[in-house]
Parts: sequence; C-alpha cells; structure tokens
Amino acid sequence: MFKLNLKIAWRNLWKNKVYAAINIGGLALGLTAFVLMLLYINHEESYDTWSPDLKNVYQIREKHDFFTPDNKEHWNEISNSRIANLIRTKLPQAFAVTKVDNDWDFSSVYSLKIDNANPVVINKIKDSDSSFFHVFPYHFLQGSADKALENKNTIVLKESLAIKLFGTTKVLGKTVNVVRWRSDKGSPLTITGIVADPKTPQSLSFNAITRTGDKDKDPENPTNNNYCFLYAKLNKLSDTLVINQTLQKLYIDLKKNLLGGQKQRYNDLYKDGKLPGLKLIPIETVHSTPPYKMNWFEKLKPVIAISAFLLLISVINFINLATAQSVQRAKEVGVKKVLGCYKRQLTWQFLIESALQSIISLFLCIILIEVVLPAFNSQFNVDLSFWHNAQLLTMIAQLAGLFVLVTLLAGLYPAWVLSNYNPVSVLKGNYENVLRGIALRNVLVVFQFVISVTFIISIGIMQMQSRFMSNKDLGFERGNLINIKSNYEDNFAERLKKIPGIEYVATTTQVMGNTFNVPEEVKYKGNSINLNTVTVTMDALPALGVKVIQGRIFSKEFKQDTVNTVVLNEAAANLFGKNIIGQTYGKVDWEGKTNIFQIVGIIKNYHNEGFDKSVLPTVYKVTSLGGTSNTNNLLVRFNTSQYKDLINKIEKQWKVLYPNFPMEYTSLDDVFSKSLEDNDRFMNMIILFSIVSVSLSLLGLFALSTFVAKRRTKEIAVRKVLGASNIQIVNLLNKSFLILVIVANLISWPIAYIIIKKWLDGFAYRIDMPVFPFFIATLISIIIAVLTVSIQARKAAVTNPVNALKYE
Amino acid sequence: MIELKNIEKYYSSKGIKHYVLRHVTTTIKQGEFVSIMGPSGSGKSTLLNILGMLEEPTYGTFEFLGEDVTSLNERKRIELYRNHIGFVFQAYHLIDEMTVYENIEAPLLYKKVGSSERASRIANLLDKFNIVAKKDLFPNQLSGGQQQLVGIARALATQPSIILADEPTGNLQSAQAEEIMQLFQKLNKEEGITIIQVTHSEKNATYGNRILNIQDGVIKEDSPTQAPQMGGVV
Repeated sequence: MFKLNLKIAWRNLWKNKVYAAINIGGLALGLTAFVLMLLYINHEESYDTWSPDLKNVYQIREKHDFFTPDNKEHWNEISNSRIANLIRTKLPQAFAVTKVDNDWDFSSVYSLKIDNANPVVINKIKDSDSSFFHVFPYHFLQGSADKALENKNTIVLKESLAIKLFGTTKVLGKTVNVVRWRSDKGSPLTITGIVADPKTPQSLSFNAITRTGDKDKDPENPTNNNYCFLYAKLNKLSDTLVINQTLQKLYIDLKKNLLGGQKQRYNDLYKDGKLPGLKLIPIETVHSTPPYKMNWFEKLKPVIAISAFLLLISVINFINLATAQSVQRAKEVGVKKVLGCYKRQLTWQFLIESALQSIISLFLCIILIEVVLPAFNSQFNVDLSFWHNAQLLTMIAQLAGLFVLVTLLAGLYPAWVLSNYNPVSVLKGNYENVLRGIALRNVLVVFQFVISVTFIISIGIMQMQSRFMSNKDLGFERGNLINIKSNYEDNFAERLKKIPGIEYVATTTQVMGNTFNVPEEVKYKGNSINLNTVTVTMDALPALGVKVIQGRIFSKEFKQDTVNTVVLNEAAANLFGKNIIGQTYGKVDWEGKTNIFQIVGIIKNYHNEGFDKSVLPTVYKVTSLGGTSNTNNLLVRFNTSQYKDLINKIEKQWKVLYPNFPMEYTSLDDVFSKSLEDNDRFMNMIILFSIVSVSLSLLGLFALSTFVAKRRTKEIAVRKVLGASNIQIVNLLNKSFLILVIVANLISWPIAYIIIKKWLDGFAYRIDMPVFPFFIATLISIIIAVLTVSIQARKAAVTNPVNALKYE
Repeated sequence: MIELKNIEKYYSSKGIKHYVLRHVTTTIKQGEFVSIMGPSGSGKSTLLNILGMLEEPTYGTFEFLGEDVTSLNERKRIELYRNHIGFVFQAYHLIDEMTVYENIEAPLLYKKVGSSERASRIANLLDKFNIVAKKDLFPNQLSGGQQQLVGIARALATQPSIILADEPTGNLQSAQAEEIMQLFQKLNKEEGITIIQVTHSEKNATYGNRILNIQDGVIKEDSPTQAPQMGGVV
C-alpha cells in the first residue's frame, strides 16, 4: 500500500513537473533561509557548553558605574579585583576563584617575540592568576592544569596558537617575550602548558593565558581599584540563590570597609534604598546577557522573523498549489472511497505526498546551504559549518522536526480537503462543490503579497536612509586621515612632522572608532550644565578638519590656550545660550577649588559614533599633552590622497623608536565604512530576502493563475462563443487577482509604516518618512502581478473554444 | 439479499420538498440481474446510489444481507465495499496514475489480501478478460471498451456478491457495449453474481432477467424480461 502510494505520488509529481518544481524549489529556498538561521542560533546557543564541568563555573558581576558608556550604574562584567579574595576566604562553597584581564576594545594586541625573530602581533593574550585552570576545565595536551600556572612568568598557549607560532605543540619550556604595550620592556615568559581548542565558542576567549604576577595581588591603597573579569567554580549542588544572598551581605561589609578607608560614609553613597550589588551568574548565560548591549537574540529577532516569513510564504505556495490541483485528484479519491478505502488512509496518502516533496526540498536545502554558507559566513563574520558542526546530532534532530512541521503545515489542509470529497458528486463529474478552499487560497495570496509589498517598501526607505548616512556631512574631513594605535609622544611626533606631506600630527580622546567620554558638570551664570569633556592637542581640531562657526579654535599664538580656554561644539553652545564667545564658566575640581574657563570658539558638531547616537554636548580643552589625552590615538593628516609611501616612512620611524611592537593604524575612511557596516549588512540581507520572497510569491501566483485558467476553461470558451475578445478574457482573469494584490497593498501600508518608523527611530540622524516608496511598491506589485497572470490568461484566451466545449 | 421498504428521497429548498424517490419498495434476491430503466431525472441513479450506500434515503429502511444498512458509519460501510459490493461506472473511473495491474490490485490492497493471493487473482482476471498484454499500460493508453473491462475486472477483484453498474456502456460504441453486456450476463449466469445496472437502452436491459421501470421517482413497472436469451458465447 505504502509503496503504491509513493509510486502514485511520484507519478503525480512527474505529471505536474512545473508545479512540483515550483513547490519544491520554493520550499527549498524557504527552508534554506530558515536552516541558516537555525545554524546561527545553534552557534550562539553553544557558547560555553564545551565541557560538562562548566555547569559549576560562574561569572561574578558587580553593580557599579566605572567605565560604563553612560556613566550610570550597571551590572558589569568587570568587577573590583578585591572581590576575588573576598569569595576565596569567606565563601566556603567556592572551589576556586580566578581573575582575568578584560578586553579593552581598542588596544587588546600584544606583541610576541620568539628568540630573535620579528615580533608578531597576537590578540587575546590574557593575564590571570594561578587559579585560572582550576576554574576552567581546559584539556591539557602538554603540561597539567595543576602545575601550569604554579609559578610567575609562565604562559599557557592554545593549541592553535602554538601551531601558528611554532608549527608544533611540543614547546614546553620554551620562552616567549611578551610586550604588552608599546613602551613595555617586555617580560620573558616560560611556556608551561598547551590546551586544546574547545569545540564550541567561549565567552572568555583567549589565545594564551599568562601569569605575570600582576593579578596576584590587589592594590594596597583602598582608594585604588583594579577592575577585571572574575570567575568562580562552586561545589556541585550549590544553590545560586542562597549564595547570591550570602555574597550580597559579604559585599556590603567589604564596601563599608573600603569606604571607611576612604573617609566616605557608606550611608552617603547608598541612600534611598540604593544597594551595592554583587551576584554570580552561570557561565552559559554570560554570552546571552551582555551588559548594556543588546544580546544576540534581540539583534537577531528581525532576521528570525524574516526567515520565518520566508518559510511561511513557501509553505503557502505549497498549500495553494496543492488545493488548486485537488480537482485533478478528486476522481481518484471518489474511486478509492468506493473501493473500500478509509478517509484516514486517504489523508495519510496525501500527507505522504507532501512529505515526499518536503524531503526532496530538505535535501535541496542542504545542498543550497553548502553553497551559500561561505558567503553567509563572511557576511556575518561567523564560522558556521553544517557537517563539521559540534552539534550535528542536534541539528539533524532539528531538521527532522522541521521536516515534520513543514509537512504538516503544508500537507494537512490539502489532505483534509481531498479526503473529504464526496464520492457521489465527484464520480458524477460534478466538481462544483469540489472547489473548496477558494476563500482560504485568496487569503493566503493576500498574505503573501502583504509580506512582499512590505519588503519592497522597506528596501526603498532603507536605501534612502543609508544613502543619507553615507552622504551626510560628518563635521570633519575623514579623507587623508589615519589614526595610529599609539599614545602621543613628542619624540615620535616631531619626527613625523618632518616628513613632507604630513600636515598635522595630533591626539584626541574623541575620534570616530575610539572615543573615551569623560563627563563633567560646570557652573555658568548660576546654572549647572552637564558636558562631555574631550582633551586634544593644539593641532587636533585642525587635523580633524572641523568647521568653526564662531570665534576661533586653539592656536599656538595664544598662551593661555594650554591653560584655561575651551572650544565648544554646537550642541554644548546651545546649552549655554547666545553670545557666549569670550564668556567664562567655572568648574569645581576634585579638591574643591573652582577653576575658570573662557569660551573662545564654537565648532560644528562632528560625529564620532554611528548615526544612531546623537552628538553629545562637548567641551574641547588642550592640556599640557599626556594626562587624560593618552587614549591610544595618534592622528596623522596628509595633504595628499597618495599616502601609501608616507605610511612606509612613518613605519620606518616607528621601528627605530619601538622595535619590539609592530605599528598598527586605521584610516578614518575605513572606520567610517565600518560604522555603516552593520547597517549595510542588514540591508543586503533584507534586499536578498525581499527578492526571494517576491519571486516566491510570483511563482505561486503564476502557478495559481494557471490552475484558475484551467478551472475556468469552460466559462472562457462559452464567453468566447458569445463574442468576448481575447483582451476581455485576459482582463477577466486579471481582475480576480488584481483585487487581491490591491487589498494586500492596502494592508501592508500601515504595517510597513509602523515597522519602518521603528527602524528609523533607531537613528538619531534620519530622513523623514518618504511617501513615494509606498506608491512605487504598489505600482511594482500590480505590474508584476498583471504580467504574471497575463501569461497564463493569454494562453487560455487564445485556445479554440471547441476543444473546451466538446467534452463534458 | 436486498430489501427496500418505502424508500423516499427528497431535497427541500425554501420549504418545498422536491421528491426524487417516492414509496420505493422492492426486494432483490441473490443471483438476480436487474436493470433499472427510466427517463432522465426519473431517480434511477439516485436509487442505485442508495443501493450502493453512497447516498442515504430521507425515509424508509434498507436491508442488505438481512442487516439494516439505512444509515451506516464509515467503517461498516467500507467493510461492505471491501467484501460485498463492486462498482462499475459509465466513465470507467480508473485511476489515471495507476497502471492496469495496479488499478485491479488497489481494492485487494484495501482488503489486505496477501501478496501471493493478490498476484494469482489479478493474473486470473487479466487472463479471463484477455488483457494480460495491457497490464503495464496506463488507462489513457486504452480504448473505452478496454478501460471498461479493466473497470469490471477491478470490481470483481474482491469477489463481491453484487455489482452495481451505472450506465456501464453509456460511453461505448455498440459493438463494445454488446461485449460488456454479454460479459455481465455470463458473470450472472455462471458465477451467480447479483448485478444491478442502470441503463437507458432497451436492448441492454434485455440481458438481465428483471426490469424496474422508474418514472418521477416511483416504480411504474417491475417485470421479468420477455425472452431470456444468450447472445452467443463470449
């Protein structure tokens, strides 16, 4: 029976090759988008799951306002290093605690020197203490977890790094010289272990773990704090709820002690029910709960929604075509029923047919995935793989689930319709009441077009917004400007200034790509104003090429420019009021003394972050170099766009001064493109998905119109005999679909408006909602729908009516 | 074998009853070959549908093999289809996607007949109807008469006790029609299969041994055929 059903299913598919291809191909496309998403989600979910022992590993998070982007209190991944000792001594459930370097966005590169070879730049080398491998259950290929970091000046490499550096993992006892920043003397570290690379990604990823000894102790002075990552391994069966309560109590005591040392009253700081906070979170949840950023799932939500829609569109095609085809199958159902076949058996038969198609689609989808995965990986900066996947089994289970889901979604309704046919009427050749599900089919077509039209409108508006962004005046000249990852040093700067072609060498704490915001409160005419402070060198503003609106920018001619004159940006000037050039304001410093600053100029706002954030009201000050201006920026402005040679010259100078640390730089053009990258990526994906969704909808419409034309063959023939022209016949068929497309447009307008409005609101600098993408989308959808239907309608119109009327 | 008592069938629209069958009472015995005749719209097809349990009467009782089958659930009805009733249609209604062999096999599969038994029965039927050479062809590769032969073979595959035929020769040329009717007569005479057919043609009706004449939903005449004749050997 099963075999015969399968055979019939196959013969039916073969008979309706074109529709079967549309069905299967469409479904494969929909599935591909969905499975890619699944792969990505699996990847994100697999963080920190590489060992069962990680169940007992926790990250410690402290609530504080140190180095948070908005200078407010948050639960932070970096905590006061003293907490490690607190847990070690006061919490008996803790098996081991370790401190690890955190990532600093801009300068996380170390230079590694082996013997006398050229230094190599390696990122993600993290300093820790002796307990690191007691907490994290890494598998040692060489050395052992107990002994590896027993002594100071040791380093443990990951297998991949060892192979990259030495070509082998048998490197125990060798020495590498690690230079951590440009002026660091470097420390020779002995390799004491090699650990295997885990199969799944890690939230705390590293290439090597060092123990220099810096993490062994906490600052002696209670006013000094070190912040770093803290991880603890607890005994099995520890109740985190109870432990977190204990921790909170311990932490309050610690805080009181420390504040006592700082002669500050604990009660002053924590009033009105505010409490210091400390907690443990399981390490598997670290990746999905980043502090003050959207987690991956939030970011991915629109993409997940889109790929689910795509799958839905292809499933809808499937349902529409299957029900439209059902007329052809009606006789078979009727006959089988009188031959003694149960309805249940028929339902199964049709489900098997759907299953056959979805399994073919699934195989096609796997092939497609293999094809598109490299592009997908480079587009999303991930390294996903289907076959070489640590969770291949999970993946297969998910695919099986997806297969069942799609089969049921696509097959259940057609199977139900088909198996419900009344044998008496179909065997009489009366198909009138067979044509069930027309209403549903119309609803589904409308639904498909709502999705497609919404996509088209979205592309239009997104394209306009991104054109607006890439053409927007940034307020500074980003061309011919590079930023070397280095602090300003007179010696080096003077050498560079001598190179012809170099216009300015300067530093600032605020430049696109590396911004360090320092808040301050000033008093102006009795009002307090909150500003963001940026420290610059004399040349920094001209180097950036900012535009002066009023007054002047810093200049060597004015002696007090290095003492107490300031330049404001427009946003800050607006807070002060009008006619402020030459006015002064006061600022209380940390000793309680009031310093007076004079405003000498106002510059146009310039962007240093993406267009999603508005420019902060900022005050620019020149200090006697160094100090807070040391945030690893060295701006170099060229007076020519052919600056490749000049960079070589700079590197030559660099090597003379800093032979142990390679030079790294970025051009501001690259930084700017990078700031648009996320958006571009998102847009490319939307464009791709829209094209797929629109073509799927059209394929569906094409096939559907074929069936409708076939169904109405007799009507068309009669109309022709009565004198209808071909055009009239084509219009007749078009009309029924056109109404659906127009209804879909009307529905999608408000939907697109709401979604796009929300997207645009995410940008501080955005275009006004344009109207014409809405009309364009409507026009496009109508034109292509008419074209699609007309192809089939014309065929129906030009056939000789005799053929249709000859037989009943 | 079949006992109809006061069968009525009507459709009501806007409160008015449109009768299709009225006061139909009759008995059909095992081994009879009954032809139901009557003009278009007289209700003969409806009567056949009721006999085939494809439609339910609005009123009256219907006993089949001594059992009341006036309204049956799907399971019981399908049991009867599998074991006792074979259908033959005017438009043959072979399944287009199945070969001749598979078409004949289908009811046996539903009846869950073992594979060797199945093969031998099908071989028997193909042989009997002289269509062995055609067994791997699809219905659209056969002539109308051949298709109807396959239709009859399929109806006989489960060895039913009764065959219900709705205008079995309506779509055939006269020579082919005659062949089919002779086949029916032979099945009735030699194998004792009860046959009920609906027909327009006086000539076809004479192959049977009883004619039910229906007009406007009422049995006007119930008579044996005049001269039972054997129209040659098939």
